[in-house]
Amino acid sequence: MIKKFIHQFASPKTYLFQVDRAYPYIFYTSLSIYLVALFWGLFLTSEDFVQGNSYRIIYLHVPASFISQSLYLAMAFASAIFLIWKVKLSAYLVRSIAPIGAITTFIALVSGAIWGIPTWGTWWAWDARIISTLILFIMYLGLISLHDSFTDNEKADKFLAILVIVGSVNIPIIKMSVEWWSTLHQTASITVTEKPAIDPSMLYPLFGSIIGFTGIVFCLVILSSKLQILKREKNKSWVKDYV
Amino acid sequence: MFNFKFNSISDAIFMQSSNGQYHGLYVWSVVLIVLLSISITFLVYKVQIKNIGKKIK
Repeated sequence: MIKKFIHQFASPKTYLFQVDRAYPYIFYTSLSIYLVALFWGLFLTSEDFVQGNSYRIIYLHVPASFISQSLYLAMAFASAIFLIWKVKLSAYLVRSIAPIGAITTFIALVSGAIWGIPTWGTWWAWDARIISTLILFIMYLGLISLHDSFTDNEKADKFLAILVIVGSVNIPIIKMSVEWWSTLHQTASITVTEKPAIDPSMLYPLFGSIIGFTGIVFCLVILSSKLQILKREKNKSWVKDYV
Repeated sequence: MFNFKFNSISDAIFMQSSNGQYHGLYVWSVVLIVLLSISITFLVYKVQIKNIGKKIK
């Protein structure tokens, strides 16, 4: 029954028509939320007692870090669906998410490095959180290169899916690195189980920036998957009608 | 909660903290990097989709 459901609603054609309809709504809503949250965070919140105004980088760094890890989990989930139920769209999504994951991880690394200069006195430290995030970035690049090095797309999809699942072990390492090892990077200020360690006036714009940035990145994934589908299905008659 | 925390545009640009350090350079360079990276990515995908659409036609 699950297999029938997935096959019915996850054909590339159905997916393209559905996301085309949803795209403008997601894009404009997310962009509005993100810009309002950034304005709020950059101009309307008080300066941090310890970090001064440099803490305002949180509204750019945290959403990027959060989404870079979430995208990898999404890739692992899509890979599992592809390997279990052989859903073609899942394989396309895995390949489409990888470059967007690389970009968000790049943003997380660079923004973290810039934040480190006034806060830690250095832009780089061989710290468990930073190294595991750097590994995530290298993994994204490696996965893209691996897929593109194959001439047989089906074989490439299978290898990619297996590697993505194996590599997902890095995500809990990134998350727990600040707890397991003594790191320069601070521990999480927001957790599911405990009350946030941030004042609400700083927390609300942070939530806004995370929601807005997630929506914008989701739009990028839509564009990337659209490109992937058009490349891979270009010989199908429905694609000619679509373009 | 919704009052401007800077007295002028130059204050907002330089972002001098109470410890005397200027943090504007760090904050604004991150803003620039994020907005540029995202905008360029959107542009690249839009152009690539347009090009492949032309080829398919």
